[in-house]
Amino acid sequence: MKPAWSWQFDPATLQRVPASLPAAITREWAWEGSTGAGVKVAVIDSGIDASYPGIGPLAGGAVVVADDDAPRGARVIEGPHEDLFGHGTACAAIIRVVAPDAELYSIRVLGERLTGRGIVFAEGMRWALAQGMQVLNMSLSTSRADYFGLFHEIVDGAYFQRAMVVCAVNNVRAPSYPSQYASVFSVAAHEGRDPFRLDYNTSPPVEFGAPGIDLEVGWLGGRTIRATGNSFAAPHIAGLIARILGKHPALTPFQMKTVLMALADNAQ
Amino acid sequence: MDDRDPPRDVLAELTQLAADLGPVLRPRDDEEFLQAIVETARLVFDAAACSIALFDEHEEELEFRVAAGSGAAATIGMRIPADRGIAGWALMSGQSIAVDDVRQDPRFAADVAATTGYVPNAIMAMPLESERRSFGVIEVLDRRRSGGEGIDDMELLALFARQATLAVETSRIFSNLGQAILESVALAAHGDDLRTALEQRAAKAPRAQAELAELALLFHDLGVLGPEERRVAARIADDFLAYARKRRH
Repeated sequence: MKPAWSWQFDPATLQRVPASLPAAITREWAWEGSTGAGVKVAVIDSGIDASYPGIGPLAGGAVVVADDDAPRGARVIEGPHEDLFGHGTACAAIIRVVAPDAELYSIRVLGERLTGRGIVFAEGMRWALAQGMQVLNMSLSTSRADYFGLFHEIVDGAYFQRAMVVCAVNNVRAPSYPSQYASVFSVAAHEGRDPFRLDYNTSPPVEFGAPGIDLEVGWLGGRTIRATGNSFAAPHIAGLIARILGKHPALTPFQMKTVLMALADNAQ
Repeated sequence: MDDRDPPRDVLAELTQLAADLGPVLRPRDDEEFLQAIVETARLVFDAAACSIALFDEHEEELEFRVAAGSGAAATIGMRIPADRGIAGWALMSGQSIAVDDVRQDPRFAADVAATTGYVPNAIMAMPLESERRSFGVIEVLDRRRSGGEGIDDMELLALFARQATLAVETSRIFSNLGQAILESVALAAHGDDLRTALEQRAAKAPRAQAELAELALLFHDLGVLGPEERRVAARIADDFLAYARKRRH
């Protein structure tokens, strides 16, 4: 007799896994030659203006709207849509700099209405995960304690299907979701501007630092604005993850964190 | 009428007393707090203006409730849709943002100039959020003093946002609690006993308030039991609170 789950470790059924990390993790090993091609990246934000210079055609998209009659309180409408604020376009443009050939999907969760927005964020994440997206960029958060369990369940599910959830932390020293959980890549702005440089923070919940201060970013109407915010740091890390996944598609979230930590400027 | 409940005329007097004392006893008007916060923030940042807009959930709009500095008088009362602009994005995304060249957006410049007579070049916006809800945005326009790079300014603004959040949430809790008690007393004064009145209040309150009203009802019931039962109940509530706090941290 065996306890539950132990059958998975029978020698006959145990799956082989690649021992993929080299002794010394370098930028060359991690992403040289990769453009993020073949990697599905979801920008869960305000929409993406696909006509913005350099963003090019999107692989797909959907708008999530609150709907009290829907089983989970929100409904997904697949298809093209515009960017309501400009921020989703900014994130997409940043990802394109680091991972120019990634398959970008726009999932618009911002702008319809404020009430129930946590439910809408969650439904956007579920849709992205159901489509097999490997990287989810979430430059947004909620501080509502009611949503702790909901987002915990979703990011656990993402982790188990090897999806990398990249979240901007908010600016207040209080828990916000989904950036709070150990399974996500939580990001804040550091003082550099080089999109290929990052820092690792040894005192999380914020784990990674990336450019987000005084940046020239894409916005509505094909123009750029000069902006600051942790929300611009997250897509830098999402882009780097897509670039690395383009070359090493089998990496798990915990391996990806190991790789990013090794590539950080403050790694010795 | 049950002899545990006060007579009807006492309840009527209580209602009158509560109505008279309410405005005196409640915390200062939250707008006074908020006005003090934006005035302080404007001085600290040496900014052209600082304002706080609160979310109107019926209209899905942001309404500027207080402002200090350039265009302040015209800004107060101004309503903007929550589904666009820098303030709208901060509110919706729960993220802070600073933009330094908003004048380049001709639509923005024209809209704002027509309303307030002042067109800023730089905006810093931060959402006002508690662990219960998102309810507004604090904005600083054209700050001249900076703690260093933009992110330091945000750390500073976060302190003001925290004060505004505490002011609004405290005021809200008092007004909800006061309203629930007053409504219950008023119902009781019209012939129902206090227990029935609290039950009715609990039944028609929105969810968060309904829980509070149910708790109030339990306390009412506990109140008429003996001291031993009350001690046990207090111990159980104490243990539960300790457990809940531990679980949250």
